[in-house]
Amino acid sequence: MVTSGGTPEGPFDVSLIEGTVTKSWQADELKRIREKSTYLFAIGSCAINGGIPALKSTHPELEVGKKVYQDLSTIHSIRPSSIDAYVHVDGFIRGCPPGERDLCEALTSVLSGKQPDFLEYSVCIECKLKGNICLLVAHNMPCMGPVTNAGCEALCPSHNRACYSCWGPMRQANAFALAKKFEAYGDIFRGHNQEVYSIRFCHCRVQKGSRVL
Amino acid sequence: MKISIDYIARVEGEGAIKFDIEDGVLKDLKLNIWEPPRFFEGFLCNRRYDEVPDIVARICGICPVSHMTTAIRALEKALGFTPAPDSITLRKVMALSQIVSSHLVHLYMLALPDYYRLYSIPDMFPRFEPEIRRLNRMKKVVNEVTALFGGRALHPVSMVVGGFTSLPPRDKIEKIKYELENIKDDAKETLRMVSDLLFPDLTHNTEYVAISSPPHYAINEGFIISQNGVKIGEDEYYSIFKEDEVSYSNAKRTVIKGKDSFMVGALARLNLKFDLLHEDAKEAAEEIGFKVPDYNPFHNNLAQAIEIVHGISECRELLDKVILRKPEIGIKVREGEGRVLQ
Repeated sequence: MVTSGGTPEGPFDVSLIEGTVTKSWQADELKRIREKSTYLFAIGSCAINGGIPALKSTHPELEVGKKVYQDLSTIHSIRPSSIDAYVHVDGFIRGCPPGERDLCEALTSVLSGKQPDFLEYSVCIECKLKGNICLLVAHNMPCMGPVTNAGCEALCPSHNRACYSCWGPMRQANAFALAKKFEAYGDIFRGHNQEVYSIRFCHCRVQKGSRVL
Repeated sequence: MKISIDYIARVEGEGAIKFDIEDGVLKDLKLNIWEPPRFFEGFLCNRRYDEVPDIVARICGICPVSHMTTAIRALEKALGFTPAPDSITLRKVMALSQIVSSHLVHLYMLALPDYYRLYSIPDMFPRFEPEIRRLNRMKKVVNEVTALFGGRALHPVSMVVGGFTSLPPRDKIEKIKYELENIKDDAKETLRMVSDLLFPDLTHNTEYVAISSPPHYAINEGFIISQNGVKIGEDEYYSIFKEDEVSYSNAKRTVIKGKDSFMVGALARLNLKFDLLHEDAKEAAEEIGFKVPDYNPFHNNLAQAIEIVHGISECRELLDKVILRKPEIGIKVREGEGRVLQ
């Protein structure tokens, strides 16, 4: 959409990669870009955690595909994955939509030659700093704040609704403990298929044994 | 002669187009949307009702409000819930702010460089600096409107099934009203700028389709109408329209049954309900000599600029009508079916 000309084939000082890998040619292109880039950042929840497109992994491919197309013979899509499954990533600019703060932090760090200082704590910290009343504890709302990476300045809880984890899981989140809490709260936290709210959630990392969850 | 463009650059999404021309006559044309499929319809099945709007918002980063509102209205219809009049007004404000924002991006960032044969928006400096500044001023204000009621401009959070989870304080609404007032002249200037572009001369007799609910210039709900006399309710969509799969494209193609393709969007809306526009927009259209019906698809740009004038004035007026009541979201889940159009 927007380009300033330059050299489409590289080399690049900084590459910002968005989106989930769902096609093999995307993985090839990603590898080529990595080879030509000094710094490569993943930007947005899709690139970092698989995001919404990764929800298709909650069902067998054929089942999901058949609900959309009658003729699947020309539709090709591989198992969705985050970009760090294919290449080394120099940092994660989190959020859906991605946050300005982390984007500025990444780019200014590159310019000044320092390590980017990304936020490595949960939404709860930001929420407490804002002086919000806890929605999970006080109002029994299914808030994902405790396991979600900060950066949104506790946007949803500040608007009186439970966090739905659009910033994705934070490092070393104790999702299991939160899931148990949700379970104890009962039916409002469960969907029709009786899975616990947290593990069904939009932006959760989908691959087993992953770095974060 | 064969023309093949593998990557159409000035659109949101990823597409390619192929023309096959023999002796000046078009033999074949293939529009291939090769953007990888994401299967939203597939993975939305069996999810909780209140997750749906937030998931479908991610279909598009330019028009999340449209996708959310559609999902919210469909769910409310299925659950037999009638939203409060205030919620309906605020959803209109949200929709208008997003439509204006989207039109601005299209006109200034995608269309304008093409009409002046420039490579892309960075090449527009310094010649078009006043225009880019105008774009920034307007985009900032309309995004602030979306953010004021939605929590953030992209993928809003406070708009949910049942209404709004929180409402902004009065003084912030007064401030945004003032700012909307300030960009009204910019909107008219945008229309003048677009009307100066040299549009190719083309008449395309297609069927124009829009939603309509007089006396309002419908957004969010209404009958489906066309200039050939179609008038059906939202529920009856499939009685007239048909979605086809095409082997060379990931996107489906919708046609009118027994007929052919049709056109929606700003020009279609203006052709069908010009009289229902805000007075400011009608005046501005008259000033540049725009008349309906207009069958030149390139004039969709003009129509968008007229809708920018309409959207800003209408938004400003709707904000006068907003009565800020404490939001109450009383949803009772039940089995049901709901079909809506945006």
